[in-house]
Amino acid sequence: MYKGLKIRLAQGEPAIKDLQKASLPELFRGMPQIDGQKFTDGGKKCLEACPTGAILPDPLRIDLGKCTFCSLCTKANPEGAISFTSEYHMSSSTREGLITDGSVKMIRPEMASEKIRKYFGRSLKLRQVSTGGCNGCELELNALGNVNFDLGRYGIEFAASPRHADGIVVTGPVSKAMSKALYETYEAVPNPKIIILFGVCAISGGVFQDSEEIDRSFLKDFRADLYIPGCPPHPLTFISGIMDWLDRK
Amino acid sequence: MKRLTVQNQRPFELSLVPELTAAEFEAEGRQILSEGSRMMGLFEVEKTSGGKKVLAVFGNNETSQIYIVKCVFPKEGERFRSFAYEFPNTNYFECELAENSGILPEGHPWLRPVRKQNTILGNIPYQFYRVEGDEVHEVAVGPVHAGVIEPGHFRFQCHGETVYHLEISLGYQHRGIEKLLLKADDNKRALLVESIAGDTVIGHSMAYSLAMEALSKTGVSLRASVIRSIAEELERVAMHLSGLSGVANDVGFAIGAAAYGRLRTLVINSLLLISGSRFGRGLVRPGGVMYDLTEGAVKKITENLLIVQKDIAEINDFMFSSTSVMTRLEATGKVHYKWASEVGMVGPAARASGVKTDVRQDFPYGAYRYHATQTVTLDSGDVFARARIRSLEIEESLGFILERFVDIPQGEIFSEVKALRENTGVISLSEGWRGEIMHAILTGPDGKISSYKVKDPSFNNWYGLALSVRGEGISNFPLCNKSFDLSYSGHDL
Ligand code: SF4
Ligand code: SF4
Repeated sequence: MYKGLKIRLAQGEPAIKDLQKASLPELFRGMPQIDGQKFTDGGKKCLEACPTGAILPDPLRIDLGKCTFCSLCTKANPEGAISFTSEYHMSSSTREGLITDGSVKMIRPEMASEKIRKYFGRSLKLRQVSTGGCNGCELELNALGNVNFDLGRYGIEFAASPRHADGIVVTGPVSKAMSKALYETYEAVPNPKIIILFGVCAISGGVFQDSEEIDRSFLKDFRADLYIPGCPPHPLTFISGIMDWLDRK
Repeated sequence: MKRLTVQNQRPFELSLVPELTAAEFEAEGRQILSEGSRMMGLFEVEKTSGGKKVLAVFGNNETSQIYIVKCVFPKEGERFRSFAYEFPNTNYFECELAENSGILPEGHPWLRPVRKQNTILGNIPYQFYRVEGDEVHEVAVGPVHAGVIEPGHFRFQCHGETVYHLEISLGYQHRGIEKLLLKADDNKRALLVESIAGDTVIGHSMAYSLAMEALSKTGVSLRASVIRSIAEELERVAMHLSGLSGVANDVGFAIGAAAYGRLRTLVINSLLLISGSRFGRGLVRPGGVMYDLTEGAVKKITENLLIVQKDIAEINDFMFSSTSVMTRLEATGKVHYKWASEVGMVGPAARASGVKTDVRQDFPYGAYRYHATQTVTLDSGDVFARARIRSLEIEESLGFILERFVDIPQGEIFSEVKALRENTGVISLSEGWRGEIMHAILTGPDGKISSYKVKDPSFNNWYGLALSVRGEGISNFPLCNKSFDLSYSGHDL
């Protein structure tokens, strides 16, 4: 008993108080910035270096839905034309919203429809489906439940059964073997329901986009409601994205 | 000698690997295995008009040697006499070869799919192993499980509550990594390697980078080697904490689950201070590391680790002396020494069953060649041992990191990687937190990678999990599963 109390006291107050205003270390690779003036080659080297085709030419933009935040583009352009800030507000409610010309400081999703907010604003239960990723995304989703992020305090929780869920969170590029299970899990969720894509694999296939072993037809058939970029996304990118989308403070 | 003997990360000319006929391979393979070596890989490396060429890799923990043979199977003779009856550790490798290349291990006791349910055995649909009897019933779970966890399918044959047999059927995470690795350029390949198992980013990047350095004869500075091993141990500590948190959670020991979880955050945030990623992504690359360790980071990480060191001692003491916890952990999910060593288990799960195996000592690499770690083993082979061993390894790793911090060698952190040598091969082993990782890379006459094989420790250990639940109540499965903490993505590739 005494030992237990001592351990409890040693924990202190581990929860991050304001998840919208937390700051991450400088080295963290979040929202990229582009300074076109600094390119000596118009960005050619960056374009070539990017392993996932996340950099788009004329004018130069970065697609966060394809970016793995590997920072090879910054190394290819030592002049500092592309740099990464530690800004974690990067979720978007549209796919196009993830494409940045590098001048915006942060991305915030548009508010969900009134109906969605009415239904899910105060309590949101999600069913996660892994579809051929590397488990990195799952680790960060699990971290959301720990004492530091404590997602449960906002009424957002992961449900065991799709029948108890209001939507699904997809991770991974959708392997062929998981395609059917993904459809079935989604169908098992009662209406109205939402789809959240968590991580670059789910959004675009990421490093696996050219694989013959993936089948993304589910994502062609259904439109996602929220896109959370990163490889894996930081838990704060997820929380802040959902809170903004549902207009929660 | 009908085999080539090499050491970990020593490149070898492909022409030196003896080419054997199936009959010679059967004899030499048996000889190697009976000397106490274990299979580490069995995969096709070349397809010619004359047939298929298969590389077999064996390792001997005692002698630190790796043995390689090549077997040539002509078109009409794609078969060999299976080793699996006499040497169960080869069982799953033979299944994998049959699935990927159609080469049949004759007399194999249980030929079954590894990743693709319908491609083995000339497309005869695979039937799960079944126990027959009046009161026998079958329980099927997955692929989608309750919780934020990767997909897999479990088939239990039960009598009442008691599990007689569990078959684990995987492949849902298969995304064709090995094929992608062959097509990728250097930049992309490194990212793919980091995404083999997202919880073992450093472990896999180590095996990959050391292999590329060996193939190109690139030297890595001492400083980079030490930073790498610090990152590797941080990864081990973080994932062991996460595993302990899971075990505590599964037995309803909430304060332990919360406390281990909180400490894990400190550790992954330490990795973030080194690499900009909580999982060490982007840090280890062929040639060295991409980020230097600053004094500020060393100071902050030391602070974090001292907190972890102090707190974990208290939590361990509390958890492992609590009767209610111990009654759940002790004697649950036992895998005794004989089974663990026969089926070729690796890593902490094997060490918990008394098998002394650890790549850091048996096949030392990188900074572990100068700075030894201690192998800890326990012998009860139950959930308790698999949990306890992880807490002991955390202490060991923390000590290792703090010792390295005292004097980190000066120097550059990155050296340019030279061109890969032609017609060369390398077997690269590292000790990920789950155990032995193997990357085998071969180059062709143009100096490009012609063959890439990956083995995650989970490949060795999934069968151990199936054994651990024999005779257990089915309700103990989640706890046994958590105590093994295996990777689906690393297995499925
Ligand atoms: S950080 Fe993103 S944009 Fe830059 S090279 Fe990597 S994937 Fe491409
Ligand atoms: S997005 Fe990155 S971390 Fe997530 S599953 Fe894909 S590779 Fe893994």
